[in-house]
Amino acid sequence: MRNLKKTIVLALVALMAVFGVFANGTAETPATEKGKTELVWAVWDIGSTAYYQPIIDAYEAKHPDVTIRMVDLGSADFMTALQTQLASGSSEFDVVTIKDIPGYNNLVKKNMIVNLNDYIAKDKIDTKQYGGTTEQISVNGNLYALPFRSDFWVVFYNKGLFDKAGIQYPTNDMTFAQYDALARKMTSGNGANKVYGCHYHTWRSCVQLFGILDGKHTIIQPPYDYLKPYYEMVLGEQNDGICQNYATLKASSIHYSGQFQNGSIAMMNMGSWYIATQIQKVAAGEADPSKSWGIVKYPHAEGVAPGSTLGTITSLSISQGSKKKDAAWDFVKFVTSPEGAAVVAKTGTIPAIMSNAVVDEIASMPGFPTDGNSKEALHVGKAYLEMPLSDKSGQIETVLNQVHDEIMTYNISVDDGLKKMGKEVQKILDTN
Amino acid sequence: MTAKKTEFKKNLVAYSFIAPNFIGFAIFTLVPMVFAFILAFLDWDGSPYNPMHFVGFKNFANLASDDQFLAAFKNTIVYTVETVPLTLIMALILAVLLNQKIKGRDFFRTVCFFPYVASMVAVAAVWNMLFNPGMGPVNEILRGFGVQNPPGWSADKDWAMTTIVQFSVWKYMGYYMILYLAGLQGINPELYEAANLDGCNGWQRFWNVTIPQLSATTFFVLVMLVIQCFKVYDVVYMITQAGPGTATLVMVYDIYNKAFVYSSFGSASAEAIVLFALVLIVTLIQFRGQRKTEA
Repeated sequence: MRNLKKTIVLALVALMAVFGVFANGTAETPATEKGKTELVWAVWDIGSTAYYQPIIDAYEAKHPDVTIRMVDLGSADFMTALQTQLASGSSEFDVVTIKDIPGYNNLVKKNMIVNLNDYIAKDKIDTKQYGGTTEQISVNGNLYALPFRSDFWVVFYNKGLFDKAGIQYPTNDMTFAQYDALARKMTSGNGANKVYGCHYHTWRSCVQLFGILDGKHTIIQPPYDYLKPYYEMVLGEQNDGICQNYATLKASSIHYSGQFQNGSIAMMNMGSWYIATQIQKVAAGEADPSKSWGIVKYPHAEGVAPGSTLGTITSLSISQGSKKKDAAWDFVKFVTSPEGAAVVAKTGTIPAIMSNAVVDEIASMPGFPTDGNSKEALHVGKAYLEMPLSDKSGQIETVLNQVHDEIMTYNISVDDGLKKMGKEVQKILDTN
Repeated sequence: MTAKKTEFKKNLVAYSFIAPNFIGFAIFTLVPMVFAFILAFLDWDGSPYNPMHFVGFKNFANLASDDQFLAAFKNTIVYTVETVPLTLIMALILAVLLNQKIKGRDFFRTVCFFPYVASMVAVAAVWNMLFNPGMGPVNEILRGFGVQNPPGWSADKDWAMTTIVQFSVWKYMGYYMILYLAGLQGINPELYEAANLDGCNGWQRFWNVTIPQLSATTFFVLVMLVIQCFKVYDVVYMITQAGPGTATLVMVYDIYNKAFVYSSFGSASAEAIVLFALVLIVTLIQFRGQRKTEA
């Protein structure tokens, strides 16, 4: 017994000694080159993202006394990794990229990112230039991030397949019924020659969010009866072999990019980030897709004006733990300004500030489709966020994903699935 | 006085020998564990900028009406109850077979052990391809044999858990086979000779000599397997991502979600403690059972 006590006391002493060492060793700002300020920027996928380096080059050219260092946290669970890093309180990050809304909401709740209102007021930044997106991410009138990329969803289509079938290309004002009919018309062949009329990646957004385009519903508010026609349309296409089977795609983790590029899909709904991927293919010398693909606006419900679509914004913020907040703000201000937008647009990526000049810039890039409809599709009507801001968005997202998975794999009927979705989301909304 | 001093010195030497291991254990295991026990009674979102609130047993009470937790609890039990006996029996059968003098014995032993050492990510990807509901070879073969509607495996609520269990048994039986092989080789051959003289047939020898002689190994295998099954995460993450719906959501998966997706460290810790209690109770029962059979 006495020995046990001794052991514990000794262990505690040892622990204190060890932690003492650590306590003295941290909290030092890393030394940089003489007179230069180094800002650390949290990003994902440095290797496959075209715009990081041009942005940094443009900023460093204007500010020779500042260097920007990127740290790649990987794309799969970027927001989780970022939260974990910032939780240490002594993280090295000054500027952080915000990838999705549930993650943004978490960082705001956890006080891990800085309220930018004072900076915005001081530098007289007009948030109207972001086309209304900042209203959707302000928390009680406070903005904790400014958007620099604003993606929206369009329908990509394979011109070669339409030409071969002798069928007219899709248009910028398709209704869902016309879209469904076109997909059915474009389906042909068997085995290796099979052409699918349309394609839905395994994300819930690809199906569920058709339902919010009429502006009458939000995805975080039950009841979900309004999703029924869209689930029925997609399941009907799946049953008839118009699109690939969800279970097959999911079990083999098939990426949409390869599916579209190998020419077995006539139409695919996907985010505008895929435009930059296609353009890069041309730059890399892989064939000439400018002749073989095009984009049109998202289909719309009967009685709703065409042009509404889903939006995803990528924004920048400043870490609460940063010791160089003012320098970090200067960089954020540059990237989210019209000047930064021009740099982003030059890589084929859609910046948060859209103007006719930006649309012209992207549409004139080698590799972008040359037809007028594709250029017109870059003009967005109303963009609804894929996930609106809410305290409970993380938990709601889990339920939406789970039930989507069950419906698409026929483990639950559409009616029962939507009922279950409504019941479980309501339960999350009711608890605090 | 001097006696006490020398004793203290002796102790100090002994402590210094265990110190390297103990310090590592204390920092990376003991402190987080104690912290988790405290967190279970707090409401905290994991942010160093936000305060912690003491909420008593509220986190535990909430679990009782938490659909995700209830599903995870049930699935974890089902997974354990199915995986443990299957793995144990398969490992024992393989060990007995590969303990005989057959041609290519070492080759087959390697083959059986291979899944255990192979990278989880790689073999899970292969498994997913084999059991792909649409175009996987397994279902093609089943269709070839005239099965009209082969199972949807990882995409079917009723088969997803079976898929996970199958994979786990296949992945881990090689390791436990090695343990059993060691046990088999430790059995005194004279016991078999004596059994032969008494006129035992092969089955009787297995039942009356091999099984009782392996009881210590079986006990060890059982304890390790049960603990391993209760804390399953990687297999589920790789094969079904807890789906379809919540069909294969297990407790560790839910704990991860609660802590890192919902930022609710209190309820995550509460669930972790429930898992800890579950493993503790089952292991205590096993030890008691072992003592009884020895007595």
